[in-house]
Amino acid sequence: MVKKPGQRTGRRLMSSESRTAHLCMIPAYVGLVVLTYVPLLAVFGLSLFKWEGVGTPTWVGAANYVRLFTRDPYFIDSVKATVLYALLSVFGSMIWSMVIALLLNRRIPARGFFRAIFYLPYVLPAMAVYLGWSWLYESNFGLFNYILEQFGIKKIMFLGSSSAVLPSLALIAVWLSGNLIVIFLAGLQNVPRVYHEAADIDGANSWQRFWHVTVPCMTPIIFYNILMSLITNLQVVTPALALTNGGPGNSSCFMSYLMYLYAFRNGKLSYACAISFTFFLIIAVFTGILFATSKSWTYYEGGPN
Amino acid sequence: MKKILALVLCLTLVLGLAACGTSSKAETTTASAAETTTAAAAETTTAAAETTAAQESSSGEPVKITYSYWGTPDEAASVQAVADKFNADHPNIQVEVMAIPNEEYTTKLNTMATANELPDCGIMNEAGVLDFADKDLLADISSMYEGADSMPLDCITFKSNGKPVAYSAANEILTLYYNKKMFDAAGLSYPSATEPMSWDEFVETSKKLTLDANGKNATDPKFDANNIKQYGCVVDNWTWQLEVWALSNGGSWFTSDGKTCNINQDATIDSIQKVADLYLKDKVMPYNAGLEDNGIQRSIATGTVAMATGGTWNVGTCLATAKTDEGLEYGVAPLPYMKNKVTICTGGPQVVFSQSKHQAEAMEFIKWYMQEENSWDSLIATGIWMPILEKYYTDESLTHKWVDNPNFPPYDEYKPAVVDYAMNNAKSTCWYYTPHTDEFITYLRSLLGPVWTGEQTAKDAINGGYDALNAILQGN
Repeated sequence: MVKKPGQRTGRRLMSSESRTAHLCMIPAYVGLVVLTYVPLLAVFGLSLFKWEGVGTPTWVGAANYVRLFTRDPYFIDSVKATVLYALLSVFGSMIWSMVIALLLNRRIPARGFFRAIFYLPYVLPAMAVYLGWSWLYESNFGLFNYILEQFGIKKIMFLGSSSAVLPSLALIAVWLSGNLIVIFLAGLQNVPRVYHEAADIDGANSWQRFWHVTVPCMTPIIFYNILMSLITNLQVVTPALALTNGGPGNSSCFMSYLMYLYAFRNGKLSYACAISFTFFLIIAVFTGILFATSKSWTYYEGGPN
Repeated sequence: MKKILALVLCLTLVLGLAACGTSSKAETTTASAAETTTAAAAETTTAAAETTAAQESSSGEPVKITYSYWGTPDEAASVQAVADKFNADHPNIQVEVMAIPNEEYTTKLNTMATANELPDCGIMNEAGVLDFADKDLLADISSMYEGADSMPLDCITFKSNGKPVAYSAANEILTLYYNKKMFDAAGLSYPSATEPMSWDEFVETSKKLTLDANGKNATDPKFDANNIKQYGCVVDNWTWQLEVWALSNGGSWFTSDGKTCNINQDATIDSIQKVADLYLKDKVMPYNAGLEDNGIQRSIATGTVAMATGGTWNVGTCLATAKTDEGLEYGVAPLPYMKNKVTICTGGPQVVFSQSKHQAEAMEFIKWYMQEENSWDSLIATGIWMPILEKYYTDESLTHKWVDNPNFPPYDEYKPAVVDYAMNNAKSTCWYYTPHTDEFITYLRSLLGPVWTGEQTAKDAINGGYDALNAILQGN
């Protein structure tokens, strides 16, 4: 076999370049390994012991997982609540932020002002936001119930009833999704104008232009936003800490909150590790599903690589 | 254009750096100022040490101990002021107060215990005390009251397997507060301070005090339950407080040795249902999810509710201010009763942690600190804490010293309704004799959520969760 000299130098060049690249990325590797992979393994390792924070851990094998899946009084409710909340928030915030982004992308008066207003919730301190919403939602004298009362509608216990609490909390998450709006806006501005003009000439109306031009061009952005928002919302904990204490019943006992309860309130650290690891797998499954389906509905301008 | 932008960026950077620079400089200044103060303080103590050196053979350096306290930095400063008095009298010990915000106190202590970094001593949340004792995190303080003229009340002594492990720093009981103007307006006589109302009387009175937008009360057939402007009562359903109704109805949560859970007995279930029915059936109580510890702030203190149950700390934490600032006229009476005239008592204890290297000194401080005089101005005279020593309840001159005070309701009301009731009718809350109560109560709270909304009966909720509740009590 004849060696092609050009190919060889090319490979050597690549390898020396990639060596430099890897060298430069050492801080990132170190961070990833020490701050992510090692703790992940440690959490898994610890979950096989019984350890309450003090004293020496004793080996119990899979006992923590067995308890979690068979006898834990919160676990099933917690998974249900977390997934339902995440789905509601993701769908809600995707639609909301897409609509707002479309509006903000038009030539409306005071556009900068509105962009700031819709982004603002995202940068407000979480505790203050939830406290504010708790006054709006208050079941006896809150603003929303006051308005309902003016229209003669029966009061709703937004945070007090197990059927209303998740939608109510998801609504706050939707309102908070200013970062998605910004990303969508950037995406909208990248949609090539020529496609719109071409569609215009072909006589497409604005809905058709949105559905057949804007949305396909936006699919990578939509995918990214769904992914980020799904992961963030599955990890939800603040509303439970700030507003509901996981209640009423277990209906807002999110998985991160459950983990917090066991680890820091009850001192059952190894058991909380088991929850944490299970939770990691659940998020991984959801992310996996999303990635697997994404190939069939996302379009990249460069085409499939 | 580009040049201008670059200039602006540079300026921002410089300003940013400058800002950081100033602030760090400012920090250094404060730090050094603090150092100077401590140095000055240290000098004073050294001076004090020298004068008392004859009685103390302390070899130079005083022992430094840390005392942890829940509260804001401001509150901690007032606690530090008290600790400084101790420091001045005890040249061999130097106490420093560590402030931890109230809402994260337990979490923080748990974390510090794991890291083997607990302070030497501190106040604790009641619910975690026996768990800490089980994990050997508490030092032995059983000798604390040896030879004292008066002991703390027995019902506020934490016992692990019968042995005292901690004493509450304060006593608190649950009691009934009422709004006098609302009683006057309805033409009703005030609840008696000596004789508690029966539950039926309580519900009946509540109905007369619940008014709709047209001013009709809940006994009127035309009463509009969807448009209530004034509620007759609030029975606080903040979970641990519900134990009193179990005892009142002849039931209980645990057997008296604290080893078995018997919350599923009829009397206990019935007592929970009775509380829920105040909102669901009798329509005399506003809905409360039982998720927050603010029953009195939301009811009596806002002037929307005529009667409410709550802890005695409310006299100091919110009612005294409501009285002076908003002209609230409130009275106090013993809790209504179902079958037994009873209330429950509680209070966060001061403990010495076993991880401390200076347990003897820490106990000396705690023993000194728990004397009523040291928290008199800030906590007892303001009405937040009740004294722990029996003599304040039995010796009337001491009771007068404590209660004759503008922050309190009149002596004739407070003495029988609170002081005597605390002495004669109070039982320990479960965390004085049962471990794992924090986890137990958290789960019970989640079980009872649907009961308060009426989605589930108390019987179904308790029976459905009984196995899990009992497993929590057994620690698995």
